[in-house]
Amino acid sequence: MTAAPPAIARPDAPAPAPAPGRRDTRARRRRRRRENLPLYIAISPFYLLFAVFGLFPILFSIVLSFTDWDGMGEISFVGLAQYQFLVTDDRFWNAVGNTFIIWILSTVPMLFLAMAIAFLLHQNIRFTPLYRVAFFLPNVTSMVAMAIVFGSVFSDTFGLVNSAMTALGLDAVPWLSSPWGIKITIAAMVIWRFTGYNAIIYLAGLQSIPTDLYDAARVDGASLLQVFFRITIPLMRPIILFTVITSTIGGLSLFTEPQVLLGDGGGAGEAGMTIVLYQYNQAFTQFDFGYGSAIAWALFLIAAVFAIINWRLVSGRGDGPARRPRARKDSRR
Amino acid sequence: MLGAAGLMPLAAAGCGSPETISEDPSELVMWYWNRSASPELLDQASSAIPGTDKHVRADVIGTNFDTKLRTSLAGKAYIPDITYINSNNALYFTNEDLFLDLDELGADAVKSDFYEWKWELGITPKGRFCFFPLDIGPTGFFYRQDVFEDAGLPSSPEDVSAAITTWEDWIALGAELKDSAGSFLVNDAQNIFEGYLNSSPERYFDTDDNALYLEDGSAVRRAWDVTITAIEAGLTAKIPRDRGTDQNAAWSSGRTAGNIGAAWWTQILAESAPDTEGSWRIASQPVRAGNNGGSFAALPHTCKDPEAALAFLTWINSPSNQALAYEDVQLFPSTPDSFTDLSYSGTFFGDQDPLDFFSTAAETVPTSFISAWETMIGGSFTFEIANVETTGKDPDQAWADALSQAERVLTKRGVEV
Amino acid sequence: MTAAPPLPRTTASGRKSTRRAISPHYGARSLVAKIVVHLCVLIGVVLSIFPFYWLVVMSTSTTAEIFGYPPKLTFGDSFVENVRNVVQSVDMLQALTNTVIVSGACALLVMFFDSLAAFAFAKFDFPGKNVLFVLLIATMLVPGSLSLVPSFILMSQIGWVGTLQALIVPGAANAFGIFLLRQMAAGSIPDELVESARIDGAGFFTTYWRIAVPLLRGGLAFLGIFTFIAAWNDYVWPLIVLVNPERQTLQTALQNLNSLYLTDYGMVMAGALISVVPLIGVFIIGSRHFIANIAAGAIKG
Repeated sequence: MTAAPPAIARPDAPAPAPAPGRRDTRARRRRRRRENLPLYIAISPFYLLFAVFGLFPILFSIVLSFTDWDGMGEISFVGLAQYQFLVTDDRFWNAVGNTFIIWILSTVPMLFLAMAIAFLLHQNIRFTPLYRVAFFLPNVTSMVAMAIVFGSVFSDTFGLVNSAMTALGLDAVPWLSSPWGIKITIAAMVIWRFTGYNAIIYLAGLQSIPTDLYDAARVDGASLLQVFFRITIPLMRPIILFTVITSTIGGLSLFTEPQVLLGDGGGAGEAGMTIVLYQYNQAFTQFDFGYGSAIAWALFLIAAVFAIINWRLVSGRGDGPARRPRARKDSRR
Repeated sequence: MLGAAGLMPLAAAGCGSPETISEDPSELVMWYWNRSASPELLDQASSAIPGTDKHVRADVIGTNFDTKLRTSLAGKAYIPDITYINSNNALYFTNEDLFLDLDELGADAVKSDFYEWKWELGITPKGRFCFFPLDIGPTGFFYRQDVFEDAGLPSSPEDVSAAITTWEDWIALGAELKDSAGSFLVNDAQNIFEGYLNSSPERYFDTDDNALYLEDGSAVRRAWDVTITAIEAGLTAKIPRDRGTDQNAAWSSGRTAGNIGAAWWTQILAESAPDTEGSWRIASQPVRAGNNGGSFAALPHTCKDPEAALAFLTWINSPSNQALAYEDVQLFPSTPDSFTDLSYSGTFFGDQDPLDFFSTAAETVPTSFISAWETMIGGSFTFEIANVETTGKDPDQAWADALSQAERVLTKRGVEV
Repeated sequence: MTAAPPLPRTTASGRKSTRRAISPHYGARSLVAKIVVHLCVLIGVVLSIFPFYWLVVMSTSTTAEIFGYPPKLTFGDSFVENVRNVVQSVDMLQALTNTVIVSGACALLVMFFDSLAAFAFAKFDFPGKNVLFVLLIATMLVPGSLSLVPSFILMSQIGWVGTLQALIVPGAANAFGIFLLRQMAAGSIPDELVESARIDGAGFFTTYWRIAVPLLRGGLAFLGIFTFIAAWNDYVWPLIVLVNPERQTLQTALQNLNSLYLTDYGMVMAGALISVVPLIGVFIIGSRHFIANIAAGAIKG
């Protein structure tokens, strides 16, 4: 606990950034090494656990994607055959398309709603603790129950939604048998399950915003909306980045909702088949582990590309502005 | 080719992990799922398997049974001594070496107790008997008698059975039902396709891996044609089976007035549509009864004491014990003699006795062969059937797509057709 | 060990005064605004609660009532019987104990290891930091479902099959939480504080304990709650790795209630409800920290 104080990241540097170049003497280097030791110890548990428990399974599944294996018997190498099959597999590309459509349909409204809810709950309105619990409940409602509830609510002929729509003089929508109906229903389920979750992340982030900024805004006579857009959003940027990245990963690996709603088959015309549902289908109902692995690694590539794009889009000019006020002024001339 | 362990230095390096689960040499661990064995009998076996000095520890494995079994087999560790396997036992044919040939242990001594077609389903393409028969699922045509009566159709089980001896007659009856009552014959087209194939002696492949479905006039093609005719006549409600709530509502409301179902569907129906008590009857399905579902038991190659394990299987599946299991957890017996001890006392099917119906139906189920490859390509056909049904896809195009998809999958799995 | 310096004088009681201060400013509109806000929130609340309410209804119903048409949305009277069936079929006490141990241990370890790493990543520079962080993010993208077989082999080789540590240790630190807390730390831990701790000669771990932990309370609470929930609800891996009936988690035990042909859904729903109630408790306790004033607590000392 008495190790020498380590170097601190420069507050205004676009994080994460290495310390600016200095002329290192040998003694200085040695001292720096000693200073850095606690930092490496601090980050080491994750990497150690990953090396022990994560690396072997990953290598194994990479190898599997070049083989044909049914999950218990002989493994035979087939070279690139699984990937060749994948490139020309209409069902896979259909699943890719579905995944992206559902991802856009769900993520965008979900994150906006979550931010709005968090902002509202952060105001001093009454019953906030009760509301928090309410928005939390979708996270713990069991899957079996969800299957029955959503199946009943969105049923084509007998569902509550269609009953309400016909009562209002609208046409009933074949929610669970038309390509768009299926996608919208799945997106609705994702929004239902994860809006509260993201709102809770935002809420946890909002509470950490230094309140001197709100004081300043008050003095300037800013409106609630101005406070939201000028202060809350910029300061929440690192957390928004986090939710965008995790929603991207979560959205691209969407599985539970379509499976709960439509079973392993992805619904009529496979309109609700997502990449991971297809992967599950191949690996755990067809027991084609080789192809399942190839699908998984194809998804890894797609997700990596999108994570990078999202990171660039959201973090913009680095997450500098989201730092402390001083840093903010500095970086904005 | 190399064994799974070849890729896994860790598995190859050590023999540190035990192959079987229990360290007690007199304890055989069995995996099964809830209500797939009589608790009373398991309780007896937990003290001793009759005639042996071994006992059974029965562990319930919930969902993802196959995943757990495969993982332990692949990892060559913590493998049960006895395992139940669902009706998808053909999925294990390609790895039949992992299971013992029960005939070598003398299982054929009890063969004559069982329905022959069920016994045959447990034999691998190489002729090894690895999968011991548990329960069965003979099928029939369930229908809403009240709806049929209101529509002026034949309504007693005898009359309906007589009116639908061929699939064409059955479709004609469905058309009348649609016209006069506005009700559908079945909820989804897959029910027809599978109902047909499950009652056919010929399926996708023969035991020599010949692709029968590619031949002109194959059973698969005939099942396809019958199904397409029914779809085009508008006899299916277009509610796929994965939407259970919708299907139940359709049956409860009478919007759909029939289903080709197995013996075990009687309980599901009674539980899920209790308001329709007394309205349902069961008629013989066109041509002959089929089989849908029914499980098996297998002994992994690591089984501690194969003789005792087989003694357990023959004991728990003896005609009298299967009768007991039927009364206990409604498993439909695979031994005809069980029915002499059984009687049905319920009113869900009015004065009809489903036990009597299905035990008679079980006599007519044809012997057939389900190939491991069938489990890989069957989905291509039912998928295209669903496309024709719900998205109005052109049937010829759908058939062509099903064939090419099946061929792609088989080629990828190294099967030449 | 030197005490960390107090926060710059802005936040000690800043939050409350801010709120009080903002509202008069919008006096004229505030009533309408308040009603609109409450209305919006209420709609969201109803939509969120409804499926859970239905779950409760189903746990009081028979299977027949659950699948009845039209669906029944009022409470049935089979709750006691359903719960009794669950308790008779499942050793709840055993399963609950195991699950609490696993979930609690996972949550505590993850909170500790992840916040330690996150603080280092967010506020310090060290050689290799960028590469290591990118690597960390990349592991979040790695597909997990296919690792069952190799993970099982690993566990059987080190003799952990059938043990609870097989469920705890591999997930004791995760990329998700490190990433989350790093993002939170970036915004909520003022560099001045870390800097002055350094000037006072406080080492990394002292700074972490005195400054980072109190300031990350909200994030830590979130991470703890959701790690707990994830471990609580995990099913497939416990199913694979636990081989003794006396070592079951709640989820593997409850999944055993499903049967091949005929499942008693009233019982399944009652089981689902029982397994969820503790999670709601954990959330209520943990979520208090979401509104904890950032200046409160340890820093004052």
